[in-house]
Amino acid sequence: MNDFEPKIVGFLCNWCSYEGADAAGRARKVYPANFRAVKVMCTGRVDPQFVIKAFREGADGVMILGCHPGDCHYKEGNFQALKRYAVLRKVLVQFGIDEERFRLDWISAGDKEKFVDVVTKMTDSVRQLGPLRG
Amino acid sequence: MTERIGVYICECGPNIKDAIDLDEVVKFAKDLEDVVLARPFGLLCSQEGKTFIEKEIQEHNLSRVVIAACSPKEHEHTFRKVLEKSGLNPFALQIANIREQCAWVTNDKVLATEKAKALISAAIRRVVLQEPLTERQIECQSDVLVVGAGIAGISAALTLAQKERKVYLVEKLPSIGGKVARYEDLFPSLECASCVLDPIQDEVLHNEQIDVLALSEIEEVLGYYGNFIVKVRKRARFVDVCSCIGCGACFEVCPVKVRNEYNEGLDERKAVYIPYPGSLPNLAVIDKEHCLRFNGKACSACQEACPFGSINYGEEDTIEELKVGAIIIATGFDLFDPGKVPKYGYGTIENVYTSLEFERLISSTGPTEGKLLLKNSKPPEKIALVHCVGSRSMESNEHCSGVCCTYLSKFAHQAKEKLPDVEITQFFSDLCLPGKEAQVFFNKVSSNNEIEFIRLKSPDSLDIIEQGGKALVRYTDVYEEPKTAQYDMVVLAPAMVGATDAARVAAVYDIAQGKAGFFSEEDTTLYPVASSMEGIFVAGCAQGPKDIGASVAQGQAAAGKILSRLVPGEKLALEAAVCEIDEGLCSGCKTCIGLCSYNAMTFDDKEKCVSINEVLCRGCGTCVAACPSGVIKAKHFTDRQMFSEIEGLLRYSS
Repeated sequence: MNDFEPKIVGFLCNWCSYEGADAAGRARKVYPANFRAVKVMCTGRVDPQFVIKAFREGADGVMILGCHPGDCHYKEGNFQALKRYAVLRKVLVQFGIDEERFRLDWISAGDKEKFVDVVTKMTDSVRQLGPLRG
Repeated sequence: MTERIGVYICECGPNIKDAIDLDEVVKFAKDLEDVVLARPFGLLCSQEGKTFIEKEIQEHNLSRVVIAACSPKEHEHTFRKVLEKSGLNPFALQIANIREQCAWVTNDKVLATEKAKALISAAIRRVVLQEPLTERQIECQSDVLVVGAGIAGISAALTLAQKERKVYLVEKLPSIGGKVARYEDLFPSLECASCVLDPIQDEVLHNEQIDVLALSEIEEVLGYYGNFIVKVRKRARFVDVCSCIGCGACFEVCPVKVRNEYNEGLDERKAVYIPYPGSLPNLAVIDKEHCLRFNGKACSACQEACPFGSINYGEEDTIEELKVGAIIIATGFDLFDPGKVPKYGYGTIENVYTSLEFERLISSTGPTEGKLLLKNSKPPEKIALVHCVGSRSMESNEHCSGVCCTYLSKFAHQAKEKLPDVEITQFFSDLCLPGKEAQVFFNKVSSNNEIEFIRLKSPDSLDIIEQGGKALVRYTDVYEEPKTAQYDMVVLAPAMVGATDAARVAAVYDIAQGKAGFFSEEDTTLYPVASSMEGIFVAGCAQGPKDIGASVAQGQAAAGKILSRLVPGEKLALEAAVCEIDEGLCSGCKTCIGLCSYNAMTFDDKEKCVSINEVLCRGCGTCVAACPSGVIKAKHFTDRQMFSEIEGLLRYSS
């Protein structure tokens, strides 16, 4: 249990969050290697099935990272993501997936520190929770 | 058919090579399904690297390529071109971002190597399912819609017409010219406003490239840069524009009197009217709201009086559809309503005016034909000019309109010209006289005339009450002394704010509205005339308070932006990765329609299914995630591709 390293999958929008993750890279901000990104054009594209699929394939935590409210490249896709997130979180609990394993946050193209911060915190808290399939 | 995938791993100098064990990654990738070969290379984005990949694709007859290197944001474009050159579809490429999101952010080489394997495995699983796409190009419209025929809109229209662009100049009011048409003289040169405006109005009305649509408003805007479809409602004038010569026979006989909005309600007009003498186009218009005939009465006085038979009560509003490539919004400003701050006495004390009302009082086409008179028809002896009404205060508007200090100087000059003995006091807390002209103008007016200046403690440390039929100004000056002074006329300089219907306009065009109701520019420094929506520009006071010169500059700037990018005959590239719907399988639930920010989805009532306009779709995929039947496909981000990528990311054996 001590050497458990969680797998975290993040769905990042093309315009803000993926750029933010790249910006963290350009600034050489080190964060846990547990985090792996999947790029989508918009967080509005994140079908709840993608999240469930990631958990089924072995992810211990899933993140959706999108543009800040009002900054969505497609105007409102991030709001749709937020609405689905609120519902899906409750559904996942029914399947025994702790709420803390699934998180949504807003990362702008310049938010490199915030990106590193939320990814690190997510990794730490999922590490505390232990593997999804214990 | 089995795919033949080539995996190329960039060393990126020491950037990737030192952080990741590339030998191990190469060994790992080689053994994955469908992978023909995996090779490291020094610098793939170099000319050498690009030639290398090209050669490899041909030699090994590759059908797909995975490049593990820097972020796709850096070189996806570069490598797509390489694929295209080698005869592959550019979408047969997938990039594994092992630099920005792996090598540069992971200290431990073992962990970085592991993560790189996951990212490459995901890319390989995804690329197998990627489908060839073609970048589409569409013809673009080079015609332009300009909304608002004030000085900014007119300037934009004329600039565009000079380059033979077809311009639709749409104006809500019956006549063009905007606010400038209401001014007598313009600062700083004190040139007469109609001398500036009339020639360009005339040019606009007679320019064959410019179609002036007065009494018209935009009701709906669809599409995007290059291809907007715009619905314009042309309100009925009830007067035949071809035969009316603006002689005025109709309004002489009209029995209805209404508040004359052109003169800010300082006098009255008829229900059939011409906005002001010399207004262009010089045509009468019937105000349906007040006309007796449209209120159930049997009046036809104007029709009987018209010598040309131009009155047509049966005329109806028409809806016109325009196709344009770009839109300039120049819908102007309004003044902050000083009635909202009761302490100024506006609307309750006689002879307290706004600056726009004063412009009309002093104007030769105004209610007093330019004679400066009080309500009792006597000339004023003492006039107070009050700066910063409803501006520079946290309670109303924080901004400074930047023109009031200068036009109040103009008012002082105009009043002194008309009534040399009139006493003038300016109440101000700070003076804003920016640029190369305003201070010079102010100095000239102040040195040629005796004007009292009282500096207030703060912009709003003053109130006005009535005293013996006059206005008593009670104020605290900069020395914190409370004082009073009596005036028989007060002119308030209210803040310039976004036009009263700006929120409606913003909703129609789906553009952002910022502080004080002005439309937001995309970037204050670099893109001052671009709105939040591609292809829609903002100019003049609709974007923020400014003087006439700056409004003209913005109108011309917006026109320039359009002329440089929207070139007739040149095609506009469209996003290849948009969404498509299987109409045969669509259940017609319409869930997607409400989610689309671009109005790209329409419901076919006959077929009971939704169809997607691929020109309007931007490919965000929000509808795809929502479709309960799963019949919408996001090209290049299909469910199968995404699932496969997730599998590759998590399920692989290293």
